[in-house]
Amino acid sequence: MSEMLSPTIVRLGVRSIFGRWRGALLFVLPLVLIALSILVRALVGQDATGAEHTLYGLGLVVIVPLVALLATSGLLAPEIDDGSISYLLAKPISRYTIVASKLLVAAACIVVFAAVPVLLAGLVLRTDDLGFGLGFGLGALAGGIAYCAVFAMLSVMTRHAVVIGLIYLLVWEGLLGGLLDGVRWLSVTRWSAELVDRVAGLELVDDLPLAYAVPALALVIVAGAWQTGRRLRAFNLTGDE
Amino acid sequence: MSEIRIDHVSRWYRNVVAVNDVTMTIGPGVTGLLGPNGAGKSTLIAMMSGFLAPSTGTVTLDGEPLWRNEQVYRKLGLVPEREALFDYLTGRQFVVANAELHGLADPGAAAQRAIALIEMTDAQDREISTYSKGMRQRIKMASALVHDPAVLLLDEPFNGMDPRQRMHLMELLRTMGAEGRTVLFSSHILEEVEQVARQIEVVVAGRHAASGDFGAIRRLMTDRPNRFVLRTSDDRLMASVLLADASVRGARLRSEGGIELEASDFGRFSEVLPRLARAHAVRLHEVTPTDESLESVFSYLVAQ
Amino acid sequence: MSSPSERTEPLQQAESSTLPTGVIHDLGYRPYGGPRLGEGPVAWSFFKTGLRNTYGLGRSARSKVLPMILLGLMLLPALILVGVLVQARNLLDLDEQIVAYSTYPLTTQLLISVFVASQAPALISRDLRFRTITLYLARPMRRAAYVLVRLASLTAATFLLIGAPLLLMYVGGLLADLPPGRETGRFLGAIVGAALLAACLSGLAALVAAFTIRRGLAVTAVIVVLLVSYTVVSTIQGIALEAGHDVVGEVAGLFSPYTLINGLQVYLFDSPDATPTPPTSDAMGILYVAATALTVLGSIGGLLLRYRKVQS
Repeated sequence: MSEMLSPTIVRLGVRSIFGRWRGALLFVLPLVLIALSILVRALVGQDATGAEHTLYGLGLVVIVPLVALLATSGLLAPEIDDGSISYLLAKPISRYTIVASKLLVAAACIVVFAAVPVLLAGLVLRTDDLGFGLGFGLGALAGGIAYCAVFAMLSVMTRHAVVIGLIYLLVWEGLLGGLLDGVRWLSVTRWSAELVDRVAGLELVDDLPLAYAVPALALVIVAGAWQTGRRLRAFNLTGDE
Repeated sequence: MSEIRIDHVSRWYRNVVAVNDVTMTIGPGVTGLLGPNGAGKSTLIAMMSGFLAPSTGTVTLDGEPLWRNEQVYRKLGLVPEREALFDYLTGRQFVVANAELHGLADPGAAAQRAIALIEMTDAQDREISTYSKGMRQRIKMASALVHDPAVLLLDEPFNGMDPRQRMHLMELLRTMGAEGRTVLFSSHILEEVEQVARQIEVVVAGRHAASGDFGAIRRLMTDRPNRFVLRTSDDRLMASVLLADASVRGARLRSEGGIELEASDFGRFSEVLPRLARAHAVRLHEVTPTDESLESVFSYLVAQ
Repeated sequence: MSSPSERTEPLQQAESSTLPTGVIHDLGYRPYGGPRLGEGPVAWSFFKTGLRNTYGLGRSARSKVLPMILLGLMLLPALILVGVLVQARNLLDLDEQIVAYSTYPLTTQLLISVFVASQAPALISRDLRFRTITLYLARPMRRAAYVLVRLASLTAATFLLIGAPLLLMYVGGLLADLPPGRETGRFLGAIVGAALLAACLSGLAALVAAFTIRRGLAVTAVIVVLLVSYTVVSTIQGIALEAGHDVVGEVAGLFSPYTLINGLQVYLFDSPDATPTPPTSDAMGILYVAATALTVLGSIGGLLLRYRKVQS
């Protein structure tokens, strides 16, 4: 058993994530994206603006964060809510190992339900420009994992992690991000969009250096995971609700 | 032989003091943590499980702190009160997962041993979502025992168990205690604690009210009379003779035979009774203390 | 330990072969013998309670925070618009509302979606998750009545959220001397639209919340449904307009409540277009009407079916 990861927790995570409707939603979201891509391709052929609009507006802004939210909250929030996380915590395992194992499952979900579908959708929309799909896939991967780290941190800090996460997504990233340009310095979506810009040669985001975006993403991932582990070390769990 | 030491521990949250300056030592054997609901039992057990930090004071297991210390779980087994488990796993998978997380060399064998101990071998391949409440408690116990811990903490373990399961669990706890493990369980039901634990810690409204053998505690309360039932060969004579002694506060002849006696000084009474009986040639058939039970200790303490 | 005085004396009476007697003292418990209200008043009071609960009234202070903030945020832009209209009407030469009544909900849809997504689980999922529904079903109110009243409470609450800023804009418009007859007509049309929008959103949200019982998951699922549907539809509409296939965009508009109701208002009341491809032909308009009816009635039916399976 390796030091940093626990195969048992990874296995448990994979099983718990497909409980009830969460699993259905995780499958539906990428299917919607791919179906839309096919429809757009059928309507307008290989149109650059249309494709960009679809993959950015729906894929990167909506689908990727929602997949991250569903996956991460499904891994941590229910167990914290009903107290069954005590079975994971009452073991001589480093808390960081627990977090790393769960985030690994979340990252795998991002790959399967966000990054690869975005890549496929990109290929459907622009078969003439492979860099397009590739760029968006990469952006989806980086952004998705960063979102997972953020939502993991929220899950251990508050019982209302999902609602707060949604408000962050809708208000900060969605509403304000569309209105105010300054938001781009503190927005995971904009950072991953910058990554897409560089690889696919687009202009989704203005005036955001790659040298800022990539370290920012990495920082969020590491800091989020570390903070989650820290919180788990000092986790309060009394017998009563 | 492990020992949990709680030293001047208080725990408060805003205006509510859940635990108020409690000092106790839990040693090998079975100890019952007794107290009414809301007395702070769960809070104390949470602190002993390393899931809550005391606001002041220290909680240690063999000198090591329990808070922020994962390695202590090698010696500690927990049976929490909450019912939630990993419903989608079978009983066996759950216990094996726990064994793996403990880093045991042979998780499968350890799991089988633990499952056999709680007599769930027949049901181990069914999903936990199909288990009854008592079965869930038992599989929780298996998960706590799988790594052979020196210390076992159980929060209200008898909740929801039927009489047969309760007897079985009591037997199991007694065995664990006899093996030298430190077993602590909490309860607000007196009969349960009475039958398993001789050593009790009583917690009332966050304060540590009493500690030790419950019979001994009872005897410490000398200002409240002890009650006995005597069956003798001549009740009326015996009663009148006993009333003459200073240690006896009251005697009543029961209509079904026998004497109900109230003694205020147990020490003197136990010395005086055989002497008086022999002096007046009365044969004592039965001398039974009627309230040497946790009930009276408890209600006395709670009535404060 | 009973003292002798309270006990009866069965042994003495055994000689006279009468059964032991006992006494139950009257401690003041009285059964209720007065008039009982029927199912109607019960349903009405349940409706009122549900409506109040969505805004946190009658619940803890914490549950008031989100709905009140959302209500405030809904009113704020309307207030600003009214302020500008009243003050700068002559300056800017305005003769109608800056943002049309029917367009306003579409612009503020995120707030409305968050409201519905957070309150539907509070009204619907909570009873199912913690099984308090068995208490409701043990009362005179029938199962179907419970479902309909819950849905009605949610719809009314959402209607208030959508309608309040419209009322504000209407009053502001009157104060700014906009022609009352025209404004009243537009306002009433928008109110009808608001009611239908509230019904559609509440129906969908309640249906989703009734299936995904966990609160966190229910909130996410409702947001997913509302947000993804709108984003997909608006993308298709934008592309369809550019590509010249307007019909595709019009059909797509059926699949999100916001575009559906806006399209309906464009067709029925000649409201200004807020989507790229609103319905243009009569056939499409009828289709929009039918789709609205289907959404509302379908979600009611779905809910009734779902609750039929709940054990009481």
